[in-house]
Amino acid sequence: MHREDFGLAGEGEGIPQVNAREKVLGCAVYAGDMRLPRMLHARILRSPHAHARITGVDLTAALALPGVRVAVSGRDVPARAWGLSHKQQHVLARDTVRFVGEEVAALAADTPEIADAALDLIQISYEPLPALLDPADALTTGAPLVHAGSNLADEINIQRGDIDAGFAQADLIHEETYRTHSQYPGYMEPMATVAATDANGRLTVWTSTQSVFLARQRLAEALDRPVSSIRVIQATVGGGFGGKIVEERSSVIAAFLATRTDRPVRLGLTRIEDMLSGCLSVPETIRLRLGMRRDGTITAKEVEILADCGAFAGLAPDILIVSAMRSDNMQRIANIRTRARLVYTNTLPRGAFRGFGGTQMLFALNSHLATMAEKLDLDVFDVHRRNAIGPGDTTVHGWKIGSCALEACLTHVRKAIDWDAKRARPKGTGVLRRGLGVAAAMHVSGNRTIGNWDGATILLKVNEDGRAVILTGESDMGQGAFTMLTQICAKELGIPPAHVTVQAPDTDISPFSIGTLASRVTINAGAAMVKAARQARSQILAAAAEKYSHPEDDLEIADGMVRARGTGNLTVPLPEICRYHIFRHGGEGIIVSASHDPETVRMDAEHRGNIAPGYSFAAQAVEVEVDTETGQVRLIESWLADDCGVAINPLAVHGQSNGAAVQSLGWALYEEPRFEGGQLSNGNLADYTMATADAVPRLHSAIVDSFEPNGPLGAKGASETAILPGAPAIANAVYEAIGLRITDLPITPEKILAGLARAKGARDAAL
Amino acid sequence: MLPFDIATPGTLAEALALLDQYDEEACVFAGGTALVIALRQRMIAPRVVVSIGQLPGLSEITYSEAEGLRIGALARHAQIAASDPVRRHYPVLAQLFGGLANPQVRNQGTVGGNLCYADPATDPPSCLLALGAEVIIAGRMGQRRLPMRAFLVDFFTTALEPGEILAGIHIPPPQPGEHALYRRHLRTPAEHRPLANVALRFVAGPDGHSWKDVRLAIGAAVPVALPMDEAGRALTGRPITLAVAGEAAALVAERLEPISDSRGDAAFRTAVVRAAVRRIVAEAAGLDWTETT
Amino acid sequence: MSTHRIHLTLNGEAIEAEVPGNRLLADFLRDDLGLTGTKRGCETGVCGACSIHLDDTVTKSCLCLAFQADGRQITTVEGLADGATLHVLQEAFMTHGGLQCGYCTPGFLMASAELLARNPMPSGDEIRKALSGNLCRCTGYQGIVDAVGAAARTLHGI
Repeated sequence: MHREDFGLAGEGEGIPQVNAREKVLGCAVYAGDMRLPRMLHARILRSPHAHARITGVDLTAALALPGVRVAVSGRDVPARAWGLSHKQQHVLARDTVRFVGEEVAALAADTPEIADAALDLIQISYEPLPALLDPADALTTGAPLVHAGSNLADEINIQRGDIDAGFAQADLIHEETYRTHSQYPGYMEPMATVAATDANGRLTVWTSTQSVFLARQRLAEALDRPVSSIRVIQATVGGGFGGKIVEERSSVIAAFLATRTDRPVRLGLTRIEDMLSGCLSVPETIRLRLGMRRDGTITAKEVEILADCGAFAGLAPDILIVSAMRSDNMQRIANIRTRARLVYTNTLPRGAFRGFGGTQMLFALNSHLATMAEKLDLDVFDVHRRNAIGPGDTTVHGWKIGSCALEACLTHVRKAIDWDAKRARPKGTGVLRRGLGVAAAMHVSGNRTIGNWDGATILLKVNEDGRAVILTGESDMGQGAFTMLTQICAKELGIPPAHVTVQAPDTDISPFSIGTLASRVTINAGAAMVKAARQARSQILAAAAEKYSHPEDDLEIADGMVRARGTGNLTVPLPEICRYHIFRHGGEGIIVSASHDPETVRMDAEHRGNIAPGYSFAAQAVEVEVDTETGQVRLIESWLADDCGVAINPLAVHGQSNGAAVQSLGWALYEEPRFEGGQLSNGNLADYTMATADAVPRLHSAIVDSFEPNGPLGAKGASETAILPGAPAIANAVYEAIGLRITDLPITPEKILAGLARAKGARDAAL
Repeated sequence: MLPFDIATPGTLAEALALLDQYDEEACVFAGGTALVIALRQRMIAPRVVVSIGQLPGLSEITYSEAEGLRIGALARHAQIAASDPVRRHYPVLAQLFGGLANPQVRNQGTVGGNLCYADPATDPPSCLLALGAEVIIAGRMGQRRLPMRAFLVDFFTTALEPGEILAGIHIPPPQPGEHALYRRHLRTPAEHRPLANVALRFVAGPDGHSWKDVRLAIGAAVPVALPMDEAGRALTGRPITLAVAGEAAALVAERLEPISDSRGDAAFRTAVVRAAVRRIVAEAAGLDWTETT
Repeated sequence: MSTHRIHLTLNGEAIEAEVPGNRLLADFLRDDLGLTGTKRGCETGVCGACSIHLDDTVTKSCLCLAFQADGRQITTVEGLADGATLHVLQEAFMTHGGLQCGYCTPGFLMASAELLARNPMPSGDEIRKALSGNLCRCTGYQGIVDAVGAAARTLHGI
């Protein structure tokens, strides 16, 4: 595909989201808003122990409370284990609890108040076991075992080129260990699910999910019943950020309860419960050793990662791969040795989060590059540019880069923040000191990782009035997938966006889909949408050609009319042709199905292969102010440039970038789940502090000129890339401001003050 | 939330009678911003919640040159911030109540509720101490007055006896030449509860360079807001320079016995208080504290 | 536990209801009256998704008990539009990227509406301060701040 094939060179139109009206009116229906006749209200009982054997369960008092309709424990749930690569979870803990907060019993009652009261009546007895709380201890001899066998959940070893030769060529070798912490996705809608069985025992589940088909697959496993006996319907989703892909556990419990009663069940989590049973991101300790020539060329990269997945593996092995190898592809680099290990601990399961392992490694890498640039007296932008991968390149791991505007991103943010003038100003010596920092990032658009398919299918109906209905299984969780599909459909069909409806994903109705993850929806479902719309257009034009005996290739659809291009004497309203398509011998309503599966491959055993149809890039430059007396770091300016190919909806892309900028700011400075004896001690939004509007400056987002040859209308993924550079840009800016290199996140006031005190102590000692 | 009954007395006397009747099984409910959370988290489990939010005459804000300011206990934070006499005569209070917590809580929460709940991580007590405020307490035997200093007892504890209701706050009229400043410090810009706050009140001397009747108070970093008399004396009767500001800050830091918890250990809170004192003194004297530490 | 008969004006309509003492106002609106536009996002009065107008002021309905609504006027997000005509803020949130997932949107709309009633032409900083009792995880607030500013200008015919 070439840029000139589409009338979209530049940008698409920043129209409001197609579901914005229902959202501003307050009538969008989230799962927690649903109410079915005779619906019960569910509650969950959780383990107070980090590690314990369950020795007794007594539900009788709870069941005896009037209004309680069902109560279950791990003794009632199917023996079949569910999971992604590791089958190790059950609907409720069966014999052993492995973290504080693990679900041990559940019940449903006529009212939430009765359910609350009944929860107090459940008796569970435990025999506490030694708990493994620190991932650093996981692989030591004698450490408590979270699961039988070993605490090693996964290990990845990658070697490329000749690492020793690479380091031998280096003029500077720098090694540092970085520590990253977990972040809570913090979507505003806590998980909620309504589940009901019909008279034949078929289960319907309305839930807040990024993927109805992954949800159905998991329910089939966890409830040990056929996939086709379950129907999953996506309710309006109040944000996901990775946490609602497939690891959250509450929808499974709601569904199980529904199978144990003939009444619908609603389970809406409180915020603390959501923090316990959603998914925090994977914390990692990263030792990074880089060799660099005097001119900034990276000659060797050695990485060692220890990551903590908590009590269950979930998606963490996939995240580990991203941390271990994705950043290698951002640069032309030949000599690599990586060892990454994932361990279990008796803490909350960790997993998918926007950026999917990229944030952790890019914090280390970008911090490292800034440090080395300074040591070699090089401009950090030059170091990025000298090593940057470019369009047409094949990376060290076999990724084929189509479009790449990383350099344009870097150039943009440098200019926008007025980098050169600000860097030239005299170093501050006062109480408040400012500094600049920059970081670069890459992400995939799509990923051939879930089975040998990364495709998407769109079912498109064009009704007899010329308006379209799109059936898709890809989820809109607020990011604008439905709007993107609507815009492509409208453009390709020549009808206004208001004449397009997107049906919410429903496993009984929607075509099979992977769902919203890996920034795959625009590039893959968008491409399927182009195909489906063009197929429908061909059918319409063929019908018009037949009806009016006019050459088909001279016809087009524009502004809701079918008309002749050349002769100009034929103009027919689209509905007339759509009706004709039905009302003729052998006719039918227009319904087309189109699929697009990109020409990508799965990684081979050595982690090589072009896994994604496109790769997105971003750069961010920030200015911070550090208060050297209180340790407070304030973001003064943020400029983020995103290479997402052609932006189909720039309003949506800017929204994604700005949201990502604040989420990364939160990770870098404000948000840290704290644990005491394995128990989350700040499990509420007053103590787990996410930035409010007054804590954030005006944000600047740019979309650089780029065209992805493998993407629909030149587009690729946005949003995830944008969260990647924020934390290291801030860390680099803090360093520039006060000369303190923070290597363990978050950058708290205490760490700033302690670092400044250490530096002062060292200065005083030297005098 | 556990079940409870709600009583809605029509007069203060009725409210006091209800408290007498139910004793420890009752709790007083004003705006509700803190109490509803405590009820939901089962931190308290009263049998009867005595609502006083509807009582007449307890939310007025009045001022006279002779008497000073009287704020009814049921005055809401936003109401105080917007009040004409407060803005005219005690701008520091308008600033404080206009920046407390968040807009919705300022619309709903009352100053009386705030003081009686006695959560250390809040703003009003230190400033009220510095302004020489008294509380007016209603009981079955009549009213009594207490200096703010005596009212604040400990972490979540006040001098309010069982059966009493806080009726209002009295603040003396500003003296000629009186200035008052208040600063709150947040741990990070993303937090809304103060990690530390400091209030400074003084009367400018005739020379314009020195101060008298200096009152400095620290809040939020300590279990109860505290007057810092020694630092106040150090700021009295001498020209205020950055060095003097630093001296006062050091005196406060030496004496401070701060809270040490997950939001900040003692050393960190001390560092923050020290900076906050130095800054407020410098600002009051028109000095630029950003130049040197 | 006793119940309370309360009378209030809800989105312009007089209603009366019988509520238990421990009924949260947010639950009363959502569960008893079916006005689910008002959201629950936390239990600690932080997120602001449950913001409504109590008389003329924006209030978090998860920090109120239902009995407190007695004799008051309540406006929820469902009462913001005038029939089919959207409130100027609703239009502005749509066109300026003031929402994505939409869960925080009702709360932000109610807080913004109170701000504009009080301060018809707020600065960017004033908007940010007025919205500091509400959390949004999607937009980074930029689209929301832009939307409120645009709505103010629209109201002034600019």
